[in-house]
Amino acid sequence: MTYLLEAKQLRKQYADKLALRGLNLQIAPGEVFCLLGQNGAGKSTTINLFLGFVQPTSGAAFVNGLEVATNSLQIKKHLAYIPENVMLYPHLTGLENLALFSRLAGFRYPESELLTYLTDAGLPPEAVRRRVDTYSKGMRQKVGIAIAVAKHAQVLLLDEPTSGLDPKASNEFSELLRRLSGQGTAVLMATHDIFRAKEVGTRVGIMREGELVDVRPTAALNAQELEQLYLTYMN
Amino acid sequence: MIHSIAQKEFVSILRDRRFGVLSVLVLALLLAATLVGRASYRTLQQERVLAQSTVNEQFRNQPARHPHRVAHYGSFAFRPKSGLSLLDSGVDTFTGSAVYLEAHQQNSVNFSQAQQSGSLIRFGEMTVAFVLQLLVPLLIIFLCFGAFTQERETGTLKLLLSQGLTMRQVAWGKVRGYSQAVALVVAPALALAATLLFTGEEFASGADLAARLTLFVLGYAVYFFLFVVGSVVVSATQASSRAALIMLLGFWIVSGIILPKATANLGASLYPTITKAQMDADVHEQAQHGINGHDPHDKRAEALKASLLKKYGVDSEEKLPVSLAGVQMAAGEEYSAKVYQQHFAALNATYERQNRLSDWAGLLNPYQAIRPLSMGLAGSDFTHYVHFQQAAEAYRYGLVQRLNGLQASMGPGDKERRLDAHTWHELPVFSYQTPALAWALPHLLLPMGALLLWAGLLSWLGFRLIANTTVA
Repeated sequence: MTYLLEAKQLRKQYADKLALRGLNLQIAPGEVFCLLGQNGAGKSTTINLFLGFVQPTSGAAFVNGLEVATNSLQIKKHLAYIPENVMLYPHLTGLENLALFSRLAGFRYPESELLTYLTDAGLPPEAVRRRVDTYSKGMRQKVGIAIAVAKHAQVLLLDEPTSGLDPKASNEFSELLRRLSGQGTAVLMATHDIFRAKEVGTRVGIMREGELVDVRPTAALNAQELEQLYLTYMN
Repeated sequence: MIHSIAQKEFVSILRDRRFGVLSVLVLALLLAATLVGRASYRTLQQERVLAQSTVNEQFRNQPARHPHRVAHYGSFAFRPKSGLSLLDSGVDTFTGSAVYLEAHQQNSVNFSQAQQSGSLIRFGEMTVAFVLQLLVPLLIIFLCFGAFTQERETGTLKLLLSQGLTMRQVAWGKVRGYSQAVALVVAPALALAATLLFTGEEFASGADLAARLTLFVLGYAVYFFLFVVGSVVVSATQASSRAALIMLLGFWIVSGIILPKATANLGASLYPTITKAQMDADVHEQAQHGINGHDPHDKRAEALKASLLKKYGVDSEEKLPVSLAGVQMAAGEEYSAKVYQQHFAALNATYERQNRLSDWAGLLNPYQAIRPLSMGLAGSDFTHYVHFQQAAEAYRYGLVQRLNGLQASMGPGDKERRLDAHTWHELPVFSYQTPALAWALPHLLLPMGALLLWAGLLSWLGFRLIANTTVA
């Protein structure tokens, strides 16, 4: 089987800290893999390794079969990224930000299509032509989601994407993820939100001190059981 | 991709109020300096043209006189300003503008603006060159110090790079965007200067001026490019915006203030110049070894007399076909001119060595590369000053020798006679043209090379450094 995301014995050692200890992970098309864990558990390092922003100390990360370390530019065509706190260019409008990032990814959309991406992501139509420095964190997050969706990537890397979103927007985001995974997109989402992970994830992995200590299909657990499992590892 | 980044930077800068305020301030200073430069140029040029024509008229309208009296009456040579000196007055403010031309001695050029102005002028003038050389780089630093650090601090860099760009592409896009913004601030002032230069009747516009202006603009374009690239590179390699700003401001202070002063002081220490009093004494002492045309008992004058008598086969001065005094004056002038030229050449060579040290420092400091290039293209550097000094001396020597020739042709007993007033109308008057760019260029190869070397090395090394910086 071809995995869209794969980690083989992935290890990252910083000067004073072992951030990742031999991670093995495969994520297939249409799968939503949620990484749970405390701050510093290695979730963001994992995402940065898949993005090629940090080099592994040993092991390898693959995106759509391409090794990230040696194909750092090519792999970016296959993936989209939404950070915890989407920061955009404050002097540009939401529409201009989306147009810019889409152009950089190789897509030149007409304005009507850009507007559709933004409103589909939940941004109020009256806000699209306002400068981003007037946006709330949630509004910026929605533009970030629109940027990721407009890239039509096969892989979504999400680092706490619902942080700052109101419950309605979070639900809309969950719906969007379900729709994208239904279209074959592979999703790796780092989150603290156990209930969101249970809701949208097909599998959850629990990370502790740089190690993936447990992986379960979400269908096998209810929310309380997942929370209990998580707390067990955290204690 | 680079175009998109450049466009984003340019639009963001235009919408940034801080840039708006700073750029309006710099633009206003540039425009004001251009207009003040033009007004100053016009006043000084009119004064000098009028003074030159007045002294020329006075010289030509002398009454019937003995030619040696005319040689002592003398004249003045006024240095006309070059057109581009309205943008960069260079050393013009401190060097003189007029030289008194008389028999027997080569006077130094006097009446500088600094001599005739208050002491405040010693702090430097607000010229276009000052704004371009020091204030625009400061604007660039404030514009670019956060180029990468802010992107890193806010997290936009990761989002940007996740779209499939390299750090090198982002950096080039930023350099292009910032360069456009800088051009927006500088271009109106240079366009105004070009309009003034090519439409103002007081300027002698022509192909040479156009070529000088083109190189002037290109030189500053490379200089600003250096600061933009340098600021972007520093921003990419520093952990925080604060660190990047401190490092860039430190460089600005060292390159714009400390290094130029240090090299000037070092030059003066390594190649000291003699005082004017010492030089006058040396010249006087050495000139005494030549013929003194005013002293009939001078031994060398006696020897010349003997050789003339022998040449013409006569036994007394009265039988000579020429005036002995006129020939003696010519010989004395020839000798004293050589003495003066040797001393002035030695003095100028010392100044050249001091300037050369500063020019070589351009390899370490781009400010010390653009400054001589700017002055040289504006025709206001020391080399152009020496050209005027030498032209004035060549005219003086030619004029005095012609008058000595006239005196010699008057024959014996010339001292009792006068030449007709009409004679002075036939003598040439002093007229000076700033030398052509082709003459100036060989003197400017070092600063031009230094700037290009800086641009090449900084781009190559800087972008390699940027490509290897970590993102997360």
